[in-house]
Amino acid sequence: MTAPAPAPAPAPRSVYVYGVVRASHAMPPGRTGVGERPAPVRTVRAGALAAVISDAPARLRAKRRDLLAHQDLALTLGRDGPVLPMRFGMVAPDEESVRRQLLCTQNDCLAALERVDGRIEMNLKALPTEADLGALVREDPEVSRLRTAARRAPGYEASVRLGEAVARGLKRRAAAAAATVLAELSAVADATVHGPEVEGCVLNASFLLDRRGRRRFEGAVERLTPAHRDRVELRLTGPLPCYSFTEGRA
Amino acid sequence: MPTGTYTEEVVCIQRTGTLYDCLELILDRGMVIDVFIRVSLVGIEILKIDARIVVASVDTYLRFAEACNRVDLEFDRSSTTVPELLGGVAGGGGSPAGRMATGLGKKKAKKAVAGVGEKVKRAVGADDEEEEGEREERESRPRRRTAPTRRRSASASEPSEPSEED
Repeated sequence: MTAPAPAPAPAPRSVYVYGVVRASHAMPPGRTGVGERPAPVRTVRAGALAAVISDAPARLRAKRRDLLAHQDLALTLGRDGPVLPMRFGMVAPDEESVRRQLLCTQNDCLAALERVDGRIEMNLKALPTEADLGALVREDPEVSRLRTAARRAPGYEASVRLGEAVARGLKRRAAAAAATVLAELSAVADATVHGPEVEGCVLNASFLLDRRGRRRFEGAVERLTPAHRDRVELRLTGPLPCYSFTEGRA
Repeated sequence: MPTGTYTEEVVCIQRTGTLYDCLELILDRGMVIDVFIRVSLVGIEILKIDARIVVASVDTYLRFAEACNRVDLEFDRSSTTVPELLGGVAGGGGSPAGRMATGLGKKKAKKAVAGVGEKVKRAVGADDEEEEGEREERESRPRRRTAPTRRRSASASEPSEPSEED
């Protein structure tokens, strides 16, 4: 942002970049991309790689429609071979700069493509649950102490203190259960990474799986969900494009 | 073509879980190439908040629709009361699951975008007037609903007002 732009040439058309694939990747026909009037999707090839792009829309926001267009294209591409999905909203000044970037990063991209080949990302979020509040009251000394105090001297202040303690307790026990779940699931995944912190979640983790291992993984989550139901709510999302595994190293 | 887009949307959600649940991955993970510009009209943080609120509301509606369909299957008699619960939006109690979810997604989605999204947009001074869907919703909405918010946000976020351009 700080570098002074050299005299701007007549603006070539900027392009929205959806992802990077191998040059040999078959493109699904007739796809359109993001924007209110979605432009046709095309590829830019350079060396062994190709970038999947479209003309960038004039006004792009992270609207539901656009997020889905971005994600859906990455998923569709993923059916015909590995794809490195771009983060939403990546716009390159022109096709030529995309080509240059592909050539500069060729080796890293090829390694990353190799890594996600035949694989999918599954995301698991774990949230505190209010189920079995009784157990929390019995087991959490602070909650039980504040509960007694609030009964003895009821009032707004006491209620808030008790409520805070309950919220902390729910979060603590959810985090503990989530750690167990994470360990079990990591054992059946090819790779595991922590995702960005999400408000309200005690765990946000992404797993890299072989496509064929998906059922097994879902089965594991289905077993773990009731086992920890009283402590944590598990939310599984996927298969997703491999957003969290776009770096080459294993 | 809005109709096509929304139909596809619902299908997609059912296949990949709710968009809300992977929003941070789409916005915060995925490959980044330094020389590319990250689209940033009102700042990516705001983009995130905005999207999250709007997407969350729609997902809630979609979950309602889904729950609705389950109720339909298990207790046939309750199918007449469910549309009332949802504000009488879904008229066809016996309509196929897909069509019902689509109808809800479309109508309620626009309302969510106009209602909740607008608040955020006003707060950050983003101008989104010409987005389709939001506009028609805005016209049909009672004026009263926006008036108190506007007054409050005008005093609270005076400095951000000049950036209405984007």
